Amino acid sequence: MAMFPLACNLQGDYGYKVIVVDDGDTIADVIETTVEQVAGVFVAPFPDGTVLKAKVHGSDEPLADDLVVKDAGFVQMEALIVYAEA
Amino acid sequence: MALLRMEDWYDLARETNWTPTYVSEDEMFPEPMSKDFGIPIEVWETFDEPYKVTYRDYVRSQRDKDVAAYSVKAALARAEFFKKASPHWKALLALHFSAVCWAEFHSASSFGRMTRFGRSPGLRNMATFGTLDEIRHGQIQIYFAYEFLKHDAVFDWCHKSSKTENWIIISLRHALDDIAHTRDAVTSAVMLNMGLEQSFTNLQFVALSADAAKCGDHTFATMLQSIQTDEARHAQMGEPMVRILCENGRKDEAQQMVEIAFWRMWKQFSALSGIGMDYYTPLEHREYSLKEFMEEWVIGQFGRTIEALGLDLPWYWDYLHHDISTFHHAQQVGVYAYRATQWWRPIASVSPAEREWLEKKYPGWNDTYGKCWDVITENIRNGHYDKTVPVAPPLICNMCGLEVSGIAGDHWHPVDHHVDMDDRRYHFCSEVCKWIFELEPARYKGHKSIIDRVFDGTIGPEIDDFYNYMGQSEQERGVCGYDYQWIDGYDKPAAAAE
Repeated sequence: MAMFPLACNLQGDYGYKVIVVDDGDTIADVIETTVEQVAGVFVAPFPDGTVLKAKVHGSDEPLADDLVVKDAGFVQMEALIVYAEA
Repeated sequence: MALLRMEDWYDLARETNWTPTYVSEDEMFPEPMSKDFGIPIEVWETFDEPYKVTYRDYVRSQRDKDVAAYSVKAALARAEFFKKASPHWKALLALHFSAVCWAEFHSASSFGRMTRFGRSPGLRNMATFGTLDEIRHGQIQIYFAYEFLKHDAVFDWCHKSSKTENWIIISLRHALDDIAHTRDAVTSAVMLNMGLEQSFTNLQFVALSADAAKCGDHTFATMLQSIQTDEARHAQMGEPMVRILCENGRKDEAQQMVEIAFWRMWKQFSALSGIGMDYYTPLEHREYSLKEFMEEWVIGQFGRTIEALGLDLPWYWDYLHHDISTFHHAQQVGVYAYRATQWWRPIASVSPAEREWLEKKYPGWNDTYGKCWDVITENIRNGHYDKTVPVAPPLICNMCGLEVSGIAGDHWHPVDHHVDMDDRRYHFCSEVCKWIFELEPARYKGHKSIIDRVFDGTIGPEIDDFYNYMGQSEQERGVCGYDYQWIDGYDKPAAAAE
């Protein structure tokens, strides 16, 4: 278990924020932490029922919610996009 | 005895080249400082500056400028103006003086390098005046700014800022170190003169001076005019250098110098002056938006200048057209939200009337960056001040040192560019910042942004460690310049209305 900084851009925000998670966290945890720290500050809270996903910047494929950060092959400050599933 | 006319003796007086006998030419002009680009000394000696000035005329002219500026200052009882000035203008003054005073003073060292190590005697002559100019610019601005110190401790940063590790200062210092303080004399002359003075500062001082006059700040306006006339003269030093390089098979090098320097200074100009023009200038006195200013004076006029010199427009010119409408709006959201990391009192400048102006000048602003301001505004209207202070720090570009930002709101478009090197990920706000890094990674890769310093342990884990590192005591942390009263322009708080 160790702190792991990621760069996350929540849908609607003007830029990336550094979100510090635990390397044992899952992507679902990363999404939750990002929403906690950015929604309601820079971005309006998402409507109830919105499904949020994350993907690596430049990738088209969403990351699995249960993927663990330390198993994801991320480098520190990996850039992730957190977005509402269409 | 009849006096000779200046044109009869000027060239003789300034052509001070000689053949060294006590030391070798390589010792007198060492390569790292006096790179000659393989161009013979006879060619460098053809440097011919457009503006001719003699030392006697220079001294007379500078004395007259100082007398004019200081007289206006004394006559207008500036302290009274400051007391009555709006938080908008106070924020602009604090930002200008604390970012520019030391930068001007440090520029003296860059001109000093050209004075000593320039291969062209004409360049050395002009750079001598440039060195004196920059010393004067630093001194007059610090002197004028210090008058405010008795009214507002913020102005202590006019002198202090350059000695701190505040993140904005790191950003500006990195850019200036890159183009002005760590290059050979020829490259410094091209980068500083073409990439900063001719493209931006000359024009900035004209525009800012006009804004100051409209705001009734005639002391500031006169001081800026006094500086601008110097900038206009020594900004001309880069052109002959570029011509010599282009005419002697070194166009590619000259092109790259201009492209690097222009972009590095654009990023600084965008964040500092862009916010100053589109947000800090009181609405009733705004004339040009940053975008309009850039389109007319920089993209248009400066673009024509570099083409006339035989260079091409920078490869990123189309991208620049996009950047002038976006980057500084994103930075303004961050500067206000992370206001405690600033030493001045940032203002939001998004009252209903100001939002109308922004939408008019930047169609679509309400649906993009305006969406972030909607959230901030609602938080203040509902008294949720804690939510206007973000927990998560921003990602900082490893070249320009400013926030990595894209388009917000309904047209959300995240932007990030990166390079992986030596087990480290470097983030960039643009393809151009990344391009500059990749041109010379060894030059840039050791630098760490303020965020890198947090995560590598350079800065301690406590929040006070962060501010102490940046030189900011509790009293030196920025707060909203209007104490949130700008919200009065909106309707009743949404929660109360319900």
